[in-house]
Amino acid sequence: MLVYVIRRIFVLIPMLVVISFLVYLGLELTPGDAVSSLINPEVASRITPEQLQALRESYGLNDPFLVRYVIWLGNIFQGNFGHSLAGGVPIATIFLDRLPATLELSFVALLFSTIIGCILGTISALRRGSPTDNFLTVFGMLGVSVPEFLFGLSVMLIFALNLGWLPAGGRLMPGYETIWDRAPHIVLPAMVLSLMMTAGVMRYSRSSMLDALTRDFIITARSKGLPEWRINLLHGFRVALTPVVVLIGFRLPLLIGGSVIIEQVFQWPGIGNEFITAVRGSDYPLVMMIALFSVFAVLMASLIIDVLTALIDPRVRLN
Amino acid sequence: MGEVMLKKLAGVALATAMFMSGTSLVSAETINSEALSDPRVRQAIAYAIDMDTIVETLLEGRALVADSMLPNGPNKPDGLNPYSYDPEKARELLAAADWDTSRELDLVYYYGDQLTADLMAAVQAYLADVGIKITYRQLQGDVGAQLTAKPDDAVNGPANITWDLGYGAAAALVGQEYFNPYKTGGVSHTPGNAERDALIAKINSSSDPEVQKEGYFAIQKYWSENLNSIPLYYQQLFVFESDRVNRNGGAYGNDQYNYNWGIENWTVTPDENGKKVMYTNTAPAQFFEAPWLNLGIWMTTKIVFDRLLEVDGALNPIGGSMAESYEVSADGLTASFTLKDGLTWHDGEALTADDVKFSIETALRIPTIHAVVRNTFTSLTGSEAYESGAADSVSGISVDGNTINLSFDTLDPNLLITFGQFAILPEHLLKNADPLQFQQDPFWQNPIGSGVYKIEEVQMNDFTRYVPFENYHGGVAKIDEIVAFPSYDGDANLIKNATAGRMDYGFTKNTGDVASLEALDFMRVIPVDIPYTRMIWINQFSRK
Amino acid sequence: MSRRSLDRKFDRILELEEAQKLSPSRRNRALAKLLNNRLAVLGIILFSIILFSAIFAPLLTDANPLKIDLRNASKAPSAEHWFGTDKTGRDVFARVLYGGRVSILVGLGSGLISAVIGIIIGAYTGFKGGWIDVLALRVSELFMSFPQIILVLLLVSIIGQSLLNLMIIFILTGWGGMYRMARAQMLSLREEEYVQALQSFGLSTASICYKHILPNALGPVMVNITLSTAAFILAEAGLSYLGLGVPLNIPTWGNILNTAQDLRVLQNYWWMWLPVGTVISVFVLSVNFIGDGLRDATDPSQQG
Repeated sequence: MLVYVIRRIFVLIPMLVVISFLVYLGLELTPGDAVSSLINPEVASRITPEQLQALRESYGLNDPFLVRYVIWLGNIFQGNFGHSLAGGVPIATIFLDRLPATLELSFVALLFSTIIGCILGTISALRRGSPTDNFLTVFGMLGVSVPEFLFGLSVMLIFALNLGWLPAGGRLMPGYETIWDRAPHIVLPAMVLSLMMTAGVMRYSRSSMLDALTRDFIITARSKGLPEWRINLLHGFRVALTPVVVLIGFRLPLLIGGSVIIEQVFQWPGIGNEFITAVRGSDYPLVMMIALFSVFAVLMASLIIDVLTALIDPRVRLN
Repeated sequence: MGEVMLKKLAGVALATAMFMSGTSLVSAETINSEALSDPRVRQAIAYAIDMDTIVETLLEGRALVADSMLPNGPNKPDGLNPYSYDPEKARELLAAADWDTSRELDLVYYYGDQLTADLMAAVQAYLADVGIKITYRQLQGDVGAQLTAKPDDAVNGPANITWDLGYGAAAALVGQEYFNPYKTGGVSHTPGNAERDALIAKINSSSDPEVQKEGYFAIQKYWSENLNSIPLYYQQLFVFESDRVNRNGGAYGNDQYNYNWGIENWTVTPDENGKKVMYTNTAPAQFFEAPWLNLGIWMTTKIVFDRLLEVDGALNPIGGSMAESYEVSADGLTASFTLKDGLTWHDGEALTADDVKFSIETALRIPTIHAVVRNTFTSLTGSEAYESGAADSVSGISVDGNTINLSFDTLDPNLLITFGQFAILPEHLLKNADPLQFQQDPFWQNPIGSGVYKIEEVQMNDFTRYVPFENYHGGVAKIDEIVAFPSYDGDANLIKNATAGRMDYGFTKNTGDVASLEALDFMRVIPVDIPYTRMIWINQFSRK
Repeated sequence: MSRRSLDRKFDRILELEEAQKLSPSRRNRALAKLLNNRLAVLGIILFSIILFSAIFAPLLTDANPLKIDLRNASKAPSAEHWFGTDKTGRDVFARVLYGGRVSILVGLGSGLISAVIGIIIGAYTGFKGGWIDVLALRVSELFMSFPQIILVLLLVSIIGQSLLNLMIIFILTGWGGMYRMARAQMLSLREEEYVQALQSFGLSTASICYKHILPNALGPVMVNITLSTAAFILAEAGLSYLGLGVPLNIPTWGNILNTAQDLRVLQNYWWMWLPVGTVISVFVLSVNFIGDGLRDATDPSQQG
């Protein structure tokens, strides 16, 4: 097992390097650079070409492409992620600042959506064909059919602005000390995100439960006269768990990528928010690091999932 | 080709005679192979767009239709052509100019808000109505270069930009700023012209308001005929305040800059704990912006830093702020400022005349500096040698105890305006900063100033807290704490925060914001006329 | 049986095969199953209504979606303007219909093209094997290592905003799923005896792929196309919200819905966003219904 994990990690590194090169190359080909995006157009017209040139020089933007890439990559391997162009803030600091906010939101959403989704999916499967099942199926599909931001904005309009029950956005306010001070802020974004994610889990757990219920050993258990609830819970659910773990694994990348739009809607100061700002401002080092980080997260997630599946389901063997 | 040209020129003469008789100054600029260089086409565009209706409907009556680059005021002559909506006239002018109706013009803009997109749709529809096809798009990527790449030959082109029309704006601290960019070689879209250069030189030649006025009259009449850029409307600024706030007599003015708003005397209704907290916006997301480009837009720039002079709401100097006294010689070529005694920075270090000298010298080496400020400093004796690195200091600046003396090579009519806006920065904290990466210096994560409030707590992208500076020369401010959130004008978060009662003061230029703010019964909105003209730039250079 | 007669028999089968007489009847059974699924039928009806109203927009409305009328801006729905007018006085009904053309083109078009590309690459490289298979697999892994939205935004920032670019981006991010499925099908099918038999008859790789393998994979392919169409239509709307979608001078569902960002519009002018929001949701929902029905109808493990 350990050997397997180590080998997988070694495969991961060249993958990351190739991706980093492609991303670097891609951004290199975009029109404009950091300097031009730092200066607002109304001012840019009054700056002399010499001044612009000097600025570019000071950012090392005048070196040949490959030289810059190699320097950049070398720094990453030494743990130096570089600096954001806009504010000169170390990217590591930005990550430390923003990542907790995103993880906090995504974890809550992931947790709720997984629990609710599994429960609803199981109910749906056990009552296959009933009105409950049909209702949940339609409800689940509706959840993946409404544009995320529209749902978010409507919820915000109703619960925050019209009813005033919850804050409309933000995460920290002056004077917040305990987690309970902050809790109200996460309710709306986490709720929206959970509901949008629940649908997928529900559909998945429903079909894997259905699948599990038709397995031979369940039939055997039933023939032995075990109570129906015990069969469902102990045997069915456990087998159905494997695909759910797989599903969660596939959704781990959502911890980073899934909340981008909701972070915008609710002014949640997370990594997705930062990514949008960086994309709009052509802050290349930041764009690249966030993209790479998310790739890293996806690859790690798929590794974790492979290991977990093997642990849960003895039929799966790693090789 | 030559024949077409002759025909066009003859047409211009005719058009000039037809439409511009009555004005004393008749002039026409050179026409090249680009149809947009024909003034009749530009006039047709101006006639075709119904700005009165646009202002009334789309802008909800919260702007003024522009008839000149310069805003209304004493420097505007009577009788400028308002180019009121007249599609018939526009069609006649286009016919006379042989406009190619199959051509599709490319209109670019760089604002991301919905209002601008709506305005572009309206302009497209109006122009289509008179036979000018356009498409519009928001510029992406290197916006600055796409807008401002100048032609190699500033008079004959060809253009180094690809667009035909551009929607943009000019915010000005001083009137000259509207015209100075149009000096030969100054802009990417309008060919140089000796007559225009002379008119521009005239408005810069003297600090005497009467002489300036004469110059402004002349150049605006010239502009009204040539429409090098088409002024559309004058933007108003809207200050909003919740009913918790009381300025106690503080003035209202152009909040994009600094003026005597008297924030040290403002009061706010205490909250349930008896604490007086005022909420506002423009907190930073990643770093505090250095205060020398946008001179007064951000709350931090306004209250954390201080300036030598104090100005009124119209930005005219009215006295000293950190300066106890100041003097400018009759010829305007020397000036001296004496600092008040006992000034300190927020960290307790003494603020001296050396800090002023340091600030001016640093500003000379930083590329992103407000044009008016830069113009003042480059007029200083020895500034060129310093900028190029030939000298270690600017010879035109000398420090004598608490007094700083400046001497200039050329007259800068806006010298005092500069010092009413130019924030002084601490030498002891910034002396090692790289001027080229000034904004990237760690100082801007939590800056130290000498203004009426100091920064107490920074949570990037969440909020910034300011508390009164106990050693402020103008007295300790009355509001216990100011909290700023990261939202800006035209951004949905502004309205969200305001609706949630988390916004007591701010300003916006977005008319959409205004209606939403006015709908809140605890909010008042105060419109302020500011020098800010929205216009259409026209690429008159021949194309490659 | 003599060798000759066996040859003749196989020749006859080959002939029939090439004339497509032996094509499986399973598809018809699947279709019947699909039509028995009430939600899928509802999906097909809704989908068709929206699709055809967009295609035949000029027959349904005289209004020009680009025609402004500032004096009649922000008007509530009326007999003249069924969905009211927007902030520049454009007819929202017409904009939703014409916007649908672009949005459906982007969604369905990108879904179809990415499926075709995925299938071609997957089928070919899966059948061929060798280095080209490894290469394609690695490239697809590369694309699939990104969270979808991060990749889309990254590509937007690299190639810029335009209708065509958006479709290119969707295709680039969408072909991987189809590719993997096609490849997996191919790997398992090429081991099947009847395929090997066909190969030994000397049928060309391409024709085996086309005639024997693809029909078997048609179900999952259709499911995949519906899912990616739904995802792309939502992505278009999401990108418009972020200001990184189709340029605003082209009416698309996303661009129309974008006005909901303005809280005043959201609160006071429901007709500017609710109808289009509903149309998007219903359209995506109908596509999902169809996809779900297709999945049930074509998945052999769900027979009976």
